Amino acid sequence: MIKSLLSWSAFSLYSAASIAALYYLLTKNERSSRLMLTLIGCGLVLQFMAFGIHLAAFWAYPENRWFLPINNFFGALSYMSFALAGAFFTIEVRRHLGILGAFVLPMAALGLGLAVVLANPELAPLEPKLRSYWLNIHPMILMTAYATFTNAFGVALALLIQERQIKSRTPSELCYRLPSLDELDALNSRIIAITLPILVLGLVMGAVWSYQASGRAWSGNAKEVMSLVTVGFYAEFLWLRYVSGRRGRIPVYVSMAGFACILLTFFGAGVFSDSHDYLGGK
Amino acid sequence: MKLVCLSWSHRDRVCAAREALASVPVERVLLELKTRGFSEAAAVSTCNRFELYVAGPSDQDLAATKLVSMLEELAEAELGRQAEIREDAAAVDHLFAVAAGLDSLVVGETEILGQVKTGYEKAMAAGMTGKRLNVLFQRALFVGKKVRTETALASGSLSVPSVAVQLAETIFGRLDGKCALILGAGAMSELAAKHLAAKGVSKLVVANRTWDRAYQLAARYQGEAVKWETFPAELERADVVICSTGAPSAVLTSDIVSAAVRRRGGRSLFLIDIAMPRDIEESVHKIDGVYLYRIEDLEAIVAKNMASRAEAVAAARRIVDAKSAEFVAWARSLSTGRELSLKHSEYRA
Repeated sequence: MIKSLLSWSAFSLYSAASIAALYYLLTKNERSSRLMLTLIGCGLVLQFMAFGIHLAAFWAYPENRWFLPINNFFGALSYMSFALAGAFFTIEVRRHLGILGAFVLPMAALGLGLAVVLANPELAPLEPKLRSYWLNIHPMILMTAYATFTNAFGVALALLIQERQIKSRTPSELCYRLPSLDELDALNSRIIAITLPILVLGLVMGAVWSYQASGRAWSGNAKEVMSLVTVGFYAEFLWLRYVSGRRGRIPVYVSMAGFACILLTFFGAGVFSDSHDYLGGK
Repeated sequence: MKLVCLSWSHRDRVCAAREALASVPVERVLLELKTRGFSEAAAVSTCNRFELYVAGPSDQDLAATKLVSMLEELAEAELGRQAEIREDAAAVDHLFAVAAGLDSLVVGETEILGQVKTGYEKAMAAGMTGKRLNVLFQRALFVGKKVRTETALASGSLSVPSVAVQLAETIFGRLDGKCALILGAGAMSELAAKHLAAKGVSKLVVANRTWDRAYQLAARYQGEAVKWETFPAELERADVVICSTGAPSAVLTSDIVSAAVRRRGGRSLFLIDIAMPRDIEESVHKIDGVYLYRIEDLEAIVAKNMASRAEAVAAARRIVDAKSAEFVAWARSLSTGRELSLKHSEYRA
């Protein structure tokens, strides 16, 4: 009950922060930017408390002791929205690019919203095949990478809007409010350059887990293939950006294709692979 | 509360009074007022404005003519004829409008807010501020900031070169460390070079068919003149290119720019064509990472900014009027013993 209340409150705070961020984008009213940061901070605290309660309930089953509760849709989405809001909070404190909140925070709110509305928060003992220390490593690394890529997607969206504004030769007021093209491009490239190795590490950890559990590192299921395609898109982005020196819309579209693959692998997990059926809440 | 404001501003065609006042340090004016028994005064002195605000209790004699005479003694010049005198509510409204940039020569300019702040700080340092002036100036600074954040008064440049610089900033962010290439050494090129240099562009390269003119323009802005034939190679290091050559056909073709883009390592390139006939082929704008603006594009943005500036002035005026009325109500409440809270416009217990 308290966990649900805290999660709903955190969702409300992220939603309110998204509205404040949109208001800041439209008016550049500094007060709404400060309000946005306060709301995210409070949301993060509430979500952390909700996680603590969720963890205590999860560990009430002796089989689950010391494992993290991100084996189901609720846990995975809650953690991702937490990591997404946390990553944005860090970027905002360090770079003061609050204007990007309008592009990133709605996704954090949406993630947590899906978790509290659609996902089944009921807890059950872990399946024997999941009772491995790899559960604390493989999904955690991947969810963190997904959350950071979501931040990059928000930046890429702002970059695309800014690029179109300048190319149109009739820039609106929004063009002067958004960060410069170079700043957005550098941020997008840096986030992806840092996160891609994390994603690869998470996938390698998954392969090692699979090898230890079943003697096979590669099952060839659709989720594994899609994960490789995701890596391919982001690697292509980095190649375009840093090796061939391409700028403009093409590299941004490639990074967005990578993000589309992430959405597909995450939400289509149950369809693509039996061993990743967290959508069913197993 | 009694408040008197004397001002000499850019509205006077004769600037002798402003010149004379500019030679008198603000600190000296404040010291003189202090010795004459005034306890609250502040002066704002800029290159095209001198303003003196003197405040006191309702029953104090703050005759404007006496203050003008005092300033005439200090400046050793005749000032009375050009002086604009405002009292009480009109003085408050005027200070708020000044801080908002509504009374500036370039409406909405932001420098004035810092100058009002400096005037207030000097008054504080001289021990010439009390409750009335403290609240008055703090409110003025608040109104100045509010107008700039809540209206579009300070946004949108109103000249072609400043629009070009603003667009360059939307592409590159800060312009310091960037390189500008000027093709052609005409008057418009010089104007653009001046704006870019003022924004901290670190390298200015000038190429012109006549070497002497390129050299002279480059020398004026501590730039570098290069031979006309070498400009395609210069595209590799340039971030902003301004073309105004007077050539009969395009000098920057799609092939030249594409070749340069391949060597630039993905850096954006901002091209400005202010020549007629055109210096840059239109197809260049389609290249990824290349942004071409022509003179008519820049003029259209200026026209749009002018239209929105008019709306912003009206919005700013509404803020100034509302905050001015709030302050006057607060000032009146001081003598009633039931002081109003400026923040919430409620009576404080």
